[in-house]
Amino acid sequence: MTPPTTARRSGTGTILLTILVALGMAVGIVAIFFWVPTANCLVPGAAPGQPCFDARPDYIQHIFYMHVPIAYVAYLAFGVVLVGSVAYLKTSKRRWDRLAHASAEIGVLFTGLCLVTGMLWGRPRWGTFWTWDETLTLTFVLFLIYVGYLLFRGMASDAERGARVAAVIGIVGFADVPLVHFSMVWWRTLHPAEVVINPAGPQLPTSELVTMLWMVAVYTGLYILMMLLRTRLGRAHDALADAEAAAEDRPAPPGPVGRSGAVQAGVQP
Amino acid sequence: MNNLRKMFVLAAKDLRSEARAKEIAPPMVLFGLILVFLFTLSFPPGAGRAPVPGPVVGAVGSRELAGAFLWVSLLFAGILGLSRNASTEREENRIEGLLLAPVDPAALFAGKALANFCYLWALEVIVLPVFALFFGVSPGPLVPGILLVALAANVGLAAAGTLFGAASQYVRARELVMPLLLFPVIIPLVLGAERLTSSLLTGGGLVSQERWFILMGAFDLAIVAIGAVAFEFIVNE
Repeated sequence: MTPPTTARRSGTGTILLTILVALGMAVGIVAIFFWVPTANCLVPGAAPGQPCFDARPDYIQHIFYMHVPIAYVAYLAFGVVLVGSVAYLKTSKRRWDRLAHASAEIGVLFTGLCLVTGMLWGRPRWGTFWTWDETLTLTFVLFLIYVGYLLFRGMASDAERGARVAAVIGIVGFADVPLVHFSMVWWRTLHPAEVVINPAGPQLPTSELVTMLWMVAVYTGLYILMMLLRTRLGRAHDALADAEAAAEDRPAPPGPVGRSGAVQAGVQP
Repeated sequence: MNNLRKMFVLAAKDLRSEARAKEIAPPMVLFGLILVFLFTLSFPPGAGRAPVPGPVVGAVGSRELAGAFLWVSLLFAGILGLSRNASTEREENRIEGLLLAPVDPAALFAGKALANFCYLWALEVIVLPVFALFFGVSPGPLVPGILLVALAANVGLAAAGTLFGAASQYVRARELVMPLLLFPVIIPLVLGAERLTSSLLTGGGLVSQERWFILMGAFDLAIVAIGAVAFEFIVNE
């Protein structure tokens, strides 16, 4: 068994990454608000500089530089859950489970942010916060599946078996995604035409493309940073659980049995 | 004994104990009937018998809604039986006896799923005619189609129910957690069954709906395969 590494403080790598992400985010926000032209409508066929459907500048379009990287990180995170879950079932190494668990948490967070930023965009653009378009619905179902996964992890009574069962749920959830996608596409064939928006058109000006790629890089860095911190927390959690289990194995004094009793026994031997 | 035979033996064990205890199928069927009764009560009388009105843009006919109501009722009633069947093994640690037997976990999964499959059929065989009766639709020509839809749905529901039923045994408040895990995952199956049933009820038949069958079949295959492989990781100590 590896010795507990909980005492390790944040390394220089983590601190450096934090600074990089913070700087990158600041630069990106400046670019989003001051560099990218505002009234450049992303509807296909609209001439560059043409406002969307009235004469006002289309400020709301700027949320795209947050929304798209967030969505990308969410999908990336669930992909990592799948990889971590399969690896955990194959090797039974706890670090794979910590990876999957951490990634699921961050994935749920980013899926929630993706839904919120999308709704903030949809209200002024579509006139409604929510529409049953397949992309929206699929994202919402993903959110539900992985919230269920986290709920399960929080309520599991046996840590090791809980991790194995959660890995199975993570795998089923991800394998389900393409099927859910097709059912959504076929279920609602009449979706608003405005949805068919392709921001990556060849006519995308340099400033927009660079800003988008910049934000994708920043959010990927943020994901890695959060993963580092969350897996470290998971390691500490596991080390604590091991210590508690070791304390429980010792002959406990008569009195309250179980977890709390063992902790008391550890504190006041 | 090969695995296939073990699967039948295990399913027979479940069904035999249910035949004696009668604690899964009767409540499940009764709940299904109550739900169908509540839903059909909300339709205007004879909604199913009235001629299908011409398509109105944006309007959803009661026959289209009926498919959704029917499958939501069957799903809610079904989850009662599925979660009950999963927790019977937990009681008095019967699962340990099963695990001691020389049985492949995949056969264990298949046996449980087969028993669940039978419970779902028992539910549908009783609820579907009552639904037709309450809704006022003449069931004769719909029987082969609806049986096909139910078959496609039951395979996946039974397999997913077995997998998530076993999974939710290891948390507190397991009856609460199981639908939360199960329902988002089986969305393709439920949407397919609803769409096909609505198509049957609106007189569209199952022609040109084959892609829904392909989707449901793909789901059934995937969940049966994952379940057979992954069940071992859930139940083994």
